[in-house]
This record gives sequence, structure tokens and C-alpha cells, in this order.
Amino acid sequence: MTAGALGDAAAQERLCRFIAAAAGAQAARLVKVTPLRGGAIQENWAVDIDVDGGPQAGSHALVLRTDAPTRVAASHGRAEEFALLRAARAAGVTVPEALWLCRDPAVLGRPFYLMRRIPGVAAGHRLVKDLPPGAPRDALVERLGHELARVHSITPQTIAALAPDQLFDFLGPPSANPALDRIRLYRAYLDDLDLQRPVLEWGLRWLELNARPVHAVTLVHQDFRTGNYLVDARGLTAILDWEFCAWGDPMSDLGWFCAKCWRFGANEREAGGIASRVPFYRGYEAGSGRRIDTASVHYGEVAAHVRWAVIALQQAARHLSGAEPSLELALTGRIVPELELEILNLIDTAGQAGRAA
Amino acid sequence: MTADRPAGAELLAEARRTLLEVLLPLLPAERRYDGLMVANAMAIVARELDAREPGTREMLAALLAALQQPEPSGEPPSAPEETLARLEARLARDIRGGRYDADDDRRAAVRRYLQAATIARLRLSNPKLLGG
Repeated sequence: MTAGALGDAAAQERLCRFIAAAAGAQAARLVKVTPLRGGAIQENWAVDIDVDGGPQAGSHALVLRTDAPTRVAASHGRAEEFALLRAARAAGVTVPEALWLCRDPAVLGRPFYLMRRIPGVAAGHRLVKDLPPGAPRDALVERLGHELARVHSITPQTIAALAPDQLFDFLGPPSANPALDRIRLYRAYLDDLDLQRPVLEWGLRWLELNARPVHAVTLVHQDFRTGNYLVDARGLTAILDWEFCAWGDPMSDLGWFCAKCWRFGANEREAGGIASRVPFYRGYEAGSGRRIDTASVHYGEVAAHVRWAVIALQQAARHLSGAEPSLELALTGRIVPELELEILNLIDTAGQAGRAA
Repeated sequence: MTADRPAGAELLAEARRTLLEVLLPLLPAERRYDGLMVANAMAIVARELDAREPGTREMLAALLAALQQPEPSGEPPSAPEETLARLEARLARDIRGGRYDADDDRRAAVRRYLQAATIARLRLSNPKLLGG
């Protein structure tokens, strides 16, 4: 039950000592530790603690996130994610409060942080079928549009003002054309894996020839989709999974959110399988003051399927290499043809629209 | 030698039925997804066994037609799987290099091949998506 980073009493004891010191408390006691099913990328634990003394005295329901043994290229580690959560919170995005970061591998063997545990359902296949009562579909996607606008209010300039100490240097310098940089990156990933996939090349070539003008360069979440936010009876409670953030074109996040591969089978509801695009776009435009460029969102949807296919191939390779044997990673490799079919369809649609215009 | 029965595919079908009907209801809720993943993996394997030779020769013929190439001759004969993999690798390189950018018959032929090859893969990995 408790295999992994928190699997033994000695590790739990070290965790308590870390929390007590970080919280400025006399002591911290673990009340309950439960492994959570997280993404394929890292280990997540539900941790209930009692803190004695100090400003945080009392009981806390938390989530502990550690790095997994291996990870997908381009995903950030826990220290970076911790910094991003704090920046998002400062920008008014609804995120769990990030409390304490531990970089010392002597505690749990890898970096980890603790954040408040937020109630709600994340599972995409459940949310597209049954939203909790009190969370009407249109209102939820409109709110998500507002939230995404707040993510995109974070720019290289606002980050510099927030953290002048190079805390966010891991995001790299903003690129003049993030879309073209990504094409180069995905081709390099495919070459590294020694995989020849004509359909993905078809998609990448189309993305190269049809690159859109860059609207702005902002923080992009890069995994803003159904499955990565929490909803309860009050509506949206948190935006999760900040490990893929980068500087990029804001329209790419809208494409990712609306992409068919993230509708969990509810294909007729094009905004994340939840509702139509109209309230989502309305929320985003109201929150950002930016006009939606539908051609750029369509481009973003092609890019989304190409990107997810490349990541899926990398996930499968993690399994196949023996580095991280996992049925979930293995099966992820077999979803690639679904993504490829959609890439072909989306490019045909764009071609027809282009000729009609 | 006559193969013993039940054959592999028959054993697999019964193993999957046992998993879904007998074992899955006994799994704790947090392990149910693992059970479903195992069942899905078994279903993919069953379809691959059923297809035996998963359309390799047909795909090779379609690809050669799309590339407007004759059947390979003069070269040392290689297994159709190897020829298909080699030609797909070349197609991938050529697409990347811009060989099929122009909106012409060659592009249309390659587009048709990509559709057929993708659907052949989906028949194994997720035929539900094809309405099958």
C-alpha cells in the first residue's frame, strides 16, 4: 500500500521533522498517508498532519508531490512547479496553496513539496458525463476561460517584477516564434526515439508551413485541459499540473483545451467535453481583453494532437526501455493512431477552409 | 505437429472473460482502473492474434502505389515487414523534407495511404473509434 518515497516509518519520521522545521513548529505528526493515483509522471500522496506550535499550528489536509523515477523531457521538476504555483496564485489563478518545498534528497530521496488538498473531482471521463450538481456546464467553461486569461497575464515582465532573483530562469528566454521552436523540438524527440511516423511528419510539416503570426508571448500552461482541474458542487476549485509551463503563444493553450483528444469521448462538446466553445471563448475574451483568433486555435489543435502523440511515444519508450515498467505507459503508446487520425482530419479541414476563403 | 487446443487466442479470450466477470468485481475501487487496463491490453493482443499477418502485404502494395514505385526487384528479397518499415521511414523523411508540399496527385496519393495505414493500426488498437 505504501511503497515508494513515503513507504517506510523512517521516511515518514524524516518528513515530520522537515515539516516541523519548515512550519516553524515544535513538532509535526502524520495522521494519515494515502497514495493517490496521479498522472503517469510523478508520485502523489494525500497527507494529513497535525502541527504543534508555530504560525501553522493545527490540522492540515495536504498533498505531497515528488518526482517520479523518470520523467518526460520538457516537464519541470517539483522545485520549478512549486515556483510556478506561487506565480499563478499571485496572478489570481485558482490553485492550491503551495506550502513547503524540500530540495534535500536526504529526506525522501527526491525533491518534493506540499500543498493544500483541495476537494473536487478531476477525472475527465467522469466530468464529461456527470458534473457535480451546482456546476452548470456553460458556467464552468466560462470560468475556465477566465482562469486561462489569468494564466496568460503572466509575462516575462511580470515574472521579473515578482521574482527578480532569477527564480524563473528555468523557463528560458522567450522565443520569437515558439511554434517553430516546438516543431524542431518534436522532430528531435522523434529522431532520438528513432521513430519514423509519416503521419506525425505530415502534421509537423503542415505546422511548419502554416505557422500563425505570434500574438503575444505569455506563460502558457501547456496542459490546461479537462482532467487537470478540480470541480465540486461549488464549481471550479483548482487548476492543477503546472509541470509543462513555458513561454509561448496564448492561443496554443486554447487549442489544447478544445482538442478532440481531451474531450473524453464527448466530442460534440468542443470545449473540453464539457460545453460548447462559445462560453469558453467568452470567458477568455472578457478576462484577457484579447480577441480569439479561431485560425490560431485550430492551428493549436493540430499542434495539440502532434504534441500529445510525441509525448505518448515518449511514455511508451519509458516502459520499453525498462526504466519504468508500467502498463499505463505501455498502453499510452497504442493511442497514437487515434491522434494521427485526428491530425489528418484537422489538416483536411484547414485545407478546405483555406480554399473556401 | 497439430497445435493443441485451446489455442493461444482461445485461452486469452477465456482469461479476459475471467478477469472482467470474476476478478474485476473483487478489486478495490482504486485498483479497478488497473484491471480495466489489463483487459484492454488483452483485447489488443487478441485482435493482433486474430489478424495474424496484420495487413502488411496490403499496406506495402498501397504504399508502393502511393510512391508510384514498382514492386522491388533486383534487390535481395526482404520480408514485407522490413520493406514496409524501410519505405515508411523514407516517406517520413520525404514528408519532412517537403517532397509532398505541392497540392497535386502525388500529395493526394500519399494522403490516401496515410489514412489507410492509420485505419489499419486503429483496427488493432481501438476499433470502436471506427464504429466497428
